[in-house]
Amino acid sequence: MALADILADARVWKLKDASAAPSRPVWSTGRSALDARLPGGGWPTASLIEVLLETTGLGEVQLFLPALVKCQQRIDGEVPWLVWIAPPHEPYAPALAEYGIELSRLLVVRPASATEALWAAEQALSSGVCAAVLLWLQGTDDRWLRRLKLAAEAGGALGVLFRPERHRFESSPASLRLLMTQGEHETQLELVKVQGGRPGPVEFRAS
Amino acid sequence: MKSRGWKSATADLFADGSTDGRLTEALPAIVAEARPAILRGVPQLAPAVVRPRPKQLWYAVVFPDLMEPQRLAAPAASTLQRLCLCAQQFTPLVSIEMPNALLLEIKGSVKLFGSLAALHAAIEAAWGRLSLRAHAATAPTALAALWLARAGKPACIEDSGQLAGGLAELPIACTSWDPAWLQTLRAMGITRIGELLRLPRAGISRRLSPAAVLDLDIALARQAAPRRAFVPRVRFRERCDFETEIETVVYLQKALEPLIERCAQFLRERQAGVQSLELGLRHRVIPVTRVRLGLATITSERRRLTDVLDEKLNRLELAAPVRGMELKSGSLQPLPAGSLDAFAGMGGGRGLRAGGVCAGNTAPQLVERLRARLGEQAVYGVVFVPEHRPEAAWRRVHELRLTPAVRAGERAGGMRVSEMRRPVWLLDEPVLLAANLQHLCQEGSILEQGPERIESGWWDGKDVARDYYIARQARGARWWVFQQRQTRCWYLHGMFA
Repeated sequence: MALADILADARVWKLKDASAAPSRPVWSTGRSALDARLPGGGWPTASLIEVLLETTGLGEVQLFLPALVKCQQRIDGEVPWLVWIAPPHEPYAPALAEYGIELSRLLVVRPASATEALWAAEQALSSGVCAAVLLWLQGTDDRWLRRLKLAAEAGGALGVLFRPERHRFESSPASLRLLMTQGEHETQLELVKVQGGRPGPVEFRAS
Repeated sequence: MKSRGWKSATADLFADGSTDGRLTEALPAIVAEARPAILRGVPQLAPAVVRPRPKQLWYAVVFPDLMEPQRLAAPAASTLQRLCLCAQQFTPLVSIEMPNALLLEIKGSVKLFGSLAALHAAIEAAWGRLSLRAHAATAPTALAALWLARAGKPACIEDSGQLAGGLAELPIACTSWDPAWLQTLRAMGITRIGELLRLPRAGISRRLSPAAVLDLDIALARQAAPRRAFVPRVRFRERCDFETEIETVVYLQKALEPLIERCAQFLRERQAGVQSLELGLRHRVIPVTRVRLGLATITSERRRLTDVLDEKLNRLELAAPVRGMELKSGSLQPLPAGSLDAFAGMGGGRGLRAGGVCAGNTAPQLVERLRARLGEQAVYGVVFVPEHRPEAAWRRVHELRLTPAVRAGERAGGMRVSEMRRPVWLLDEPVLLAANLQHLCQEGSILEQGPERIESGWWDGKDVARDYYIARQARGARWWVFQQRQTRCWYLHGMFA
């Protein structure tokens, strides 16, 4: 078997290409230490990012706020939507306004069950009108995550899934998995899985 | 000199069939304009009165039967609306005068029917077929015709110059004025319109009301009196019966497709859209299941109607097999410009479907779909409210602005709301953490920033007096805590997620 045949196989994934030229746009995280570790230098769009949390209040949403503000500031006219599905508490409008989020383009969805939440996320991700979809879930199966990933790819949106830390050792189709835990004094951030990058802890200071 | 003549009425296709012809809004209207014009500009001549030829001819018909509800199958208002539809075969301008009269503008129809007599005969034959007693009269103004008809005088006045003479003999009761006014007039010994017309205007205005003088002017064509034309309510309504009973929702969706197609066609033909639909499912025994759906914006697109209906039907548990169904639209509304999809009727597909994902391509569609399945209250936006109390500084909004919005300008870092940073999460209710600072620190909290004193709200009984701090927990989480100033207790109010 020639090398060319192997490279032509869809299952073979070339690290160099992936890191050199990301096919999708990325949104800067606003933290240079983190940007440097992510392929393309920012949060990948049209893909699913999974954040595993030990508890809330670790600055997990703030991690994405610079990107959310950026993606609403598209130059070509229309402001895209942000959809937050099943957040654990009420998103506090003054804080978001302070960060620069366009509140008139923020949609909060409170589904009655996890299945409804996943369905809503799939709809929002695939609609193409949302720049980013943030979803909070207690647990979900692999099949649903795959559907979310496909939806994110179809709609070109930034999909972020927040899950409890206990799902860390389950397999996930997310292209990027982060783990946020409480450290000795400060929040610890670790890249669990990075497609086209190198996993490992990231120097992080919650602002 | 102001332009004369009357503005042609534009029938408002979308107005809900108004029951009373009296005009409350500016347009559309039939404007009767026949006030004598006074020519100026030739100083040596005395002002000459030029009486214009009547531009309108009103046929008023009063149905005495409508005043006796026990003889009617339907309420008088809906009977009148049906009579209006019937009268529209003679003229497009029909107006309802509650409670029991119709006004038809027939000037334009005389030529069509050959002569005024032929037209009268045709209209009267129509009432005859309905076996309704009718008193009719014709006059150049609607009000004069109405008064004549109410008096039961089958007069036909064609020239507005003869109006005063024609109305003179009528009893004042035919005006249907306030009984108190009529009583006043009777006390003055006035029983006929003619006697009333001989009184000085200022006197009538003072003793009755300026409205009485205005009415007389309107009746005598000295004053324009616009009237609202009756517009039939247009709705889509179609039913279909199944040959066999349908037990599953999937087949129901299939059966619904042609109905939605026809509904979309109906709307396209009228350049209109709907914002609500109702689907009624008929069963053998149990009452009709009604599926109501509201759309986020006015639409006539089949794809959107199908999507939203499908979503509703998927959630539906059929209580019994379905024998037939009926699709009803809400009232038609003009389509907002630019939303017409030129290819809405083409393609034949059921929307873009990829991997079971229904790809909607606009924000209203997305919101509609979410709301159809999750409920109206489950999808909302948040707004910032300028207010010191943290719990009052935001509010949910359910009426979303779904039209495309363009960012007004680049804002560098958002707005500065307060001295201290605000948390991303706000708890519904503050949670008691500790009774004093010592306990709080024993729990492992370190106060990083603060205090920010918030003392406000004495005016609505929900006053707060708190000192807010940002507290870092021992292992890194950041909380927004406050100390109640009266009790010195510490509460958790938000989290810096």
